[in-house]
Amino acid sequence: MADPSEKVTITLDGRQVEVPAGELLIKAAEEAGTYIPHFCWHPRMKPVGMCRMCLVEVETPRGKMLTTSCTMPVADGMVVETESAVVKKAHEGVLEFLLINHPLDCPVCDKGGECPLQDQTLGYGPGESRFVEEKRHHEKPISISDLVYLDRERCILCARCTRFSEEISGDPLIEFVERGNHVEVNTFPDEPFASYFSGNTVQICPVGALTAKPYRFRARPWDLEAVESVSLVDSVHSKVSVESSQNEIVRISGVDNDPTNQGWLSDKDRFIYEHVHSSERLTTPLVRDRDGFREASWGEAIGLVAERLGATPGAAVAGIGGARATNEDAYAFSKFMRSIVVTPHVDAQLDDGLDPEFAAAVHPRARIDDLEQAATILLWGPDLKEEFPVLYLRVRRAAAHLGATLVVVHPRITGLDPVATHTVRYRPGEGPAILKKLAAGEGDLADVRAALGQGPVVALVGRPGLGEDPRLAEAVAAFARDLPDATIMPLVRRGNVFGALDMGLAPTLLPGRVSITDTAARNALEDEWGALPDGVGSATTGILSGLVSGEQEALVLFGADPVRDHPNPTLARSGLEAAEFVVAFDLFLTDSSRLADVVLPVAAFGETAGTVTNLEGRVQKVNQIVPPPGRSRAAWSILDDIATAMGGSLGATSAERLNKEIARVAPVYRGVTWDMLDWGEGREGIVVPLPGVDQPLRHIPVDTGVATVTERPAVHTARVLYDDGAMLRHCPGLAGLAPPAAIHMHPRDAAVLAVRDGDRVVVSADASVELPVVIDTGLAEGVVYIPFNLVETAPLGAPRSIRIDAVREDAS
Amino acid sequence: MTDRILTVRMEAHPEDSHTLATYEATGGYQALRKALTSMTPDDVKAEVKASNIRGRGGAGFPTGVKWGFLPDDLRPRYLVVNGDESEPGTFKDRILLERDPHQLVEGIIISSYGLDVHHAFVYIRGEYPKPARRVQHAIDEAYAAGYLGSDILGSGFSLDITVHLGGGAYICGEETALLNSLEGRRGEPRIKPPFPAVAGLYAKPTIVNNVETISNVPWIVANGGSAYAAIGPERSAGTRMFSLSGHVNRPGDYEIVMGMTWRDLIYGIGGGIPGDRALKTWIPGGASAPWFVPDEHLDTPVTIDDVGANGSMLGSGAVIVMDETTDVVAAAHRIVKFFAHESCGQCTPCREGTTWLERVLWRILNGAGRPSDLDLLLDICDNISPGLRWPPAMTTICPLGPSAVSPITSIMRHFRDEVEAKIRTSEGASVG
Amino acid sequence: MTNPIAGWSHANQEHAKQIMARYPDVRSAVMPLLYIASLEHGHVTDDGMRQIAELTGLTPAQVRSVASFYTMYKRDGVGRYLVSVCTSISCFLRGADDVLTAVEEATGTVDGETSDDGMFTVEHVECIGACGGAPALQVNYEFVEGVTPDKAVALCRWLADGRPEVVRSDEMQALFGGRPSFERGPADPEGAIAAVPAFGPYGSAATGPERGTR
Ligand SMILES: Cc1cc2nc3c(=O)[nH]c(=O)nc-3n(C[C@H](O)[C@H](O)[C@H](O)COP(=O)(O)O)c2cc1C
Ligand code: SF4
Ligand code: FES
Repeated sequence: MADPSEKVTITLDGRQVEVPAGELLIKAAEEAGTYIPHFCWHPRMKPVGMCRMCLVEVETPRGKMLTTSCTMPVADGMVVETESAVVKKAHEGVLEFLLINHPLDCPVCDKGGECPLQDQTLGYGPGESRFVEEKRHHEKPISISDLVYLDRERCILCARCTRFSEEISGDPLIEFVERGNHVEVNTFPDEPFASYFSGNTVQICPVGALTAKPYRFRARPWDLEAVESVSLVDSVHSKVSVESSQNEIVRISGVDNDPTNQGWLSDKDRFIYEHVHSSERLTTPLVRDRDGFREASWGEAIGLVAERLGATPGAAVAGIGGARATNEDAYAFSKFMRSIVVTPHVDAQLDDGLDPEFAAAVHPRARIDDLEQAATILLWGPDLKEEFPVLYLRVRRAAAHLGATLVVVHPRITGLDPVATHTVRYRPGEGPAILKKLAAGEGDLADVRAALGQGPVVALVGRPGLGEDPRLAEAVAAFARDLPDATIMPLVRRGNVFGALDMGLAPTLLPGRVSITDTAARNALEDEWGALPDGVGSATTGILSGLVSGEQEALVLFGADPVRDHPNPTLARSGLEAAEFVVAFDLFLTDSSRLADVVLPVAAFGETAGTVTNLEGRVQKVNQIVPPPGRSRAAWSILDDIATAMGGSLGATSAERLNKEIARVAPVYRGVTWDMLDWGEGREGIVVPLPGVDQPLRHIPVDTGVATVTERPAVHTARVLYDDGAMLRHCPGLAGLAPPAAIHMHPRDAAVLAVRDGDRVVVSADASVELPVVIDTGLAEGVVYIPFNLVETAPLGAPRSIRIDAVREDAS
Repeated sequence: MTDRILTVRMEAHPEDSHTLATYEATGGYQALRKALTSMTPDDVKAEVKASNIRGRGGAGFPTGVKWGFLPDDLRPRYLVVNGDESEPGTFKDRILLERDPHQLVEGIIISSYGLDVHHAFVYIRGEYPKPARRVQHAIDEAYAAGYLGSDILGSGFSLDITVHLGGGAYICGEETALLNSLEGRRGEPRIKPPFPAVAGLYAKPTIVNNVETISNVPWIVANGGSAYAAIGPERSAGTRMFSLSGHVNRPGDYEIVMGMTWRDLIYGIGGGIPGDRALKTWIPGGASAPWFVPDEHLDTPVTIDDVGANGSMLGSGAVIVMDETTDVVAAAHRIVKFFAHESCGQCTPCREGTTWLERVLWRILNGAGRPSDLDLLLDICDNISPGLRWPPAMTTICPLGPSAVSPITSIMRHFRDEVEAKIRTSEGASVG
Repeated sequence: MTNPIAGWSHANQEHAKQIMARYPDVRSAVMPLLYIASLEHGHVTDDGMRQIAELTGLTPAQVRSVASFYTMYKRDGVGRYLVSVCTSISCFLRGADDVLTAVEEATGTVDGETSDDGMFTVEHVECIGACGGAPALQVNYEFVEGVTPDKAVALCRWLADGRPEVVRSDEMQALFGGRPSFERGPADPEGAIAAVPAFGPYGSAATGPERGTR
């Protein structure tokens, strides 16, 4: 590729323009204000020049030549005509050809009103058709997956969907079949388009050939309202456009931006909105009496919470959650717990993440876009395809198309293995030994070590599985830090967990990436908040144990579901049951909030505005487009009412006001305002701190010396994209997509146990469950893998060691 | 002067020209010995360049020039021999593959030596099992005799040849479609540039040459490029295989020196028209080429340039002759139908346009033509090949789509009254 | 890992391995493997495509995309004899349409279909490179040139009655052919055992009158 800063001059319809050297003509022209019609070209995919719509005339030594502008790089002095008579005739011709077999069903087509074929026919097309023969016929929409319909009659064969699947997502399940005039797009019989990314093909289909089942016939494009926002499915924070009709969110589309998602989304990002309008949403406060929950007024519920919390000594109250909320909500929660309740026990993570200082403030920190320049990528963390699907696309792009060397260290085959240069499999618990060997470049890891010597290196580190010691990630980061030009990206998944940590929702942190031990910063905060509690609080596991032992009495669950999400669900349940008082802020009754005394219904995604922070530290804005249902409200305003009822004040009259307070009080957020994010340089988000602002806590990773544990079988427990989480359960489109629960075993381990594929075994840790066996050659020997938080595996959580007993049918 | 190069052996030894024994007994593999023992790779390239041979696959591109496009610094490189021969009317590579496979194999080895290639492929259309068997046997014999494999004839040069059978798709004759097919993909032509010489098979520098082109290489190396260049007219050097078919008394493959007239070819070599019927029209270079008519072209010389100057091409060397009884609309329809069937389907104008043309012609043939169809046909053609020029301008990736235009512009130009008459009859038919 | 082609004959498994080893990139083996799969299953089946996908690391959808591009990978059942009548321009000029009609009548089936007894599949095909011997046809891709409607009928009867295990071009040409495209030299002992090109490495060629090598 030519240096993007280098410019050349071309003549475009008689006008001299400067354009980046080597850029495709179609793009260069568009940037220079000349739109060239096209169908198959997509700026994020390699050009194929198939639809022939983008033809232009270019002068050559042998005269003017028609050529596709999507395949032609600009060259200095190039003379181009985009509107000559020949070009116009070619455009009309191509459109006529496309229309001869295209059905005229625009009035009932989901794409009608926002269809490039419709638009271009108006703009460039012939008047009427001269085609008197019969059109091509196919069965009307066929279902090609749980989420997507395909109408082959409407398809114009631009190959965007097939290319996306092969080139971008790496799961070519939808392909051209047949040849010539019989070409159609289709899946293999009985192999649905089961891609985590299928919705992107719906979005980029230029006609209504691919449609999303959840959206089908829900709205007409001209009735839609839209706001920009970001997806909170994981901490990547892909940019989205949220569209509603009649106060219901009906569609989410990816917005193209360079820093995060480059326009793409996972299907979870795209269809998760369905939970927002679930009939199971909580719409009114609930208060427990002898017979269970009853509906209550806000006044009663708030009064009760204020009374119970007020009656409990501050340090005996703990708060868990905030990682699914906006920064404003998280800030309000942090301030409420620390200055109204006055307790040090707050934690946004559920001991399924990383050390908070490391996650919030690791230095030097990577940006997603660093992957574009990376020579080498080290991934020692979760399977990105399952837990960070859009980041998976970015890493895949770097490895498959940008030439980066990718090293994946994981107990099991991951989604990125097909494009990885080196894969290292190991047993959970033995990570420290493997790391030592890798750092020394010993034995079979010599090649891998050598590969890591090429900079710039981007290290993506996190916990490969929930049973893995979080300190391993820090040790990996400590090693990676010394690699050439290395930057580090901490991988913690939950929606706005980085925002919550930055708001101080961790035992060791105060708002704005401040360590709780930083006296100066602490004093400054006390000027704003009043006296802070003494000492360092407990993290979630400590809080739950404290509840069991009685040291802790009351618990505030702020959008957290520890019974489902904590690695030890048995402990979580006992803790909640032992608590004297539990108040839960939630969207639904979950396994955790069901155990609460008071449940407060909060606003969901799309129902509030606020800021959020992603894993790079990028602050972006989420926006409101629909009202919250029933009497549910923004969480910050509920907290404000409780604070008032407790005789204090959060000063939270609006989310925007909270934002201003954050921008004043939280050091790294200094100067970051909504205005800036809505209109200013922050449209693509702002990575905090802004230039010139100091980051009080710069965490340099250190090897904390976690010991190698050798356990057989070693247990690998990890999340899958579609689990039995509270939100997914309420999305009709996604709920059925969770994989079947199972315990995966290496063939040799299965042989030792004398079990075969499909046999059932009892797996016991704190709880026992019966699961079918899947023989999995993608595992390291001596490791079993159990997907976390499926209906059947949820009681197990993420145990470090288990017992497996084969269930023998009585052979009588 | 030599008037045959490629077919001498099969003529002289009809029983066993394909065997190694006969090949060796008639001077075979001497050129290879010469190349490996007394020539550098650059010498080999220089001889091929000096021969002025132009590719026999259709486009007539000078082979030596093409070989010169290989980037110096990239390895591996591949040589791919195009034996997909599917252009209607063409069957000349078939005879070379079947009856003198060692000539091709020797050509491949010498060319590979010249090009620093160590793995060559022969892509043979799937419908040619017997030619493929013969080539495979020749390759097996050559391995056994030490002409293939490692350290050939002690020279240090090594080469493997793989025969790859097509699956039934004319478009795979187009070189980049062929490469995709060889890579196990759909045979869809690629966007050029990059040309195969820069990024071809497995994205590596690749030379694609026709079977006939490469079969000439042993002679060129044995006798010198200038000897080859001396044969025939200046810009149509060497001998050339022609496939004669249709309404001629002696259809078949003929190796001739270019420069004779079409009259010589059709009436002399071809033995004239059966039943002494009148010649109506002929296609000078395969189904893609615009047609010639006796009034204008019978005394035109058979050279690449003269045919080009008259708005057609020698193409693949297929001469299809039609006598006065021929229904030219039906003939054109048959050819257009071929292209519609063989379109790979990538380009909108080709996929939709060739099929549309075929259906309009079919309507006309079946009594449902309309006066507006004349303009419609030409306008569809114009949207595939703007300006209806020769050589064709294209709205498509490869020349297949524009090829379907040739028969239509040909009948419109030379036999418009016949087309109009057909439409008039159908109007009558539909009214009455 | 389980052997994805466990069902294949030993000879075909061996061929498959050799073929995959022959290319710098295993994906190149898809087309030859499709021929082997056709031999195994009589035509290209979904299972066959799945097996090839597993061997080459592609998805079944990718294999099908390739297979369906080419006309020789038959995805419906094919009769014992695939009779392909060329109807392209040179054969057309010499009466190919009548040959096709004669073949349809003689085999009791129509263009694109298989006879009820599973003996014949008839198809019209584009140019097969036998224009000098027009009109021409192929039986299991073995050429017969210079046929007439009558000779074509006789050929079909001969096939139906004799049910040769192996069809050989030379034999059919001598019995039912006319003027060929060119003198074809010595007789070729090899022939086809199924509607797959009889090319040794793909396992479908057979020598001599004995049964095929499958
Ligand atoms: C539609 C199409 C079909 C072609 N078919 C053949 C063919 O069957 N055999 C062939 O050698 N070249 C064929 N060609 C030409 C090849 O693309 C290529 O130019 C040729 O193989 C180069 O070899 P040469 O330089 O030796 O002629 C075809 C080209 C096109 C556009
Ligand atoms: S012109 Fe036709 S055959 Fe050639 S690439 Fe385009 S669609 Fe394919
Ligand atoms: S946009 Fe250029 S060919 Fe389709």
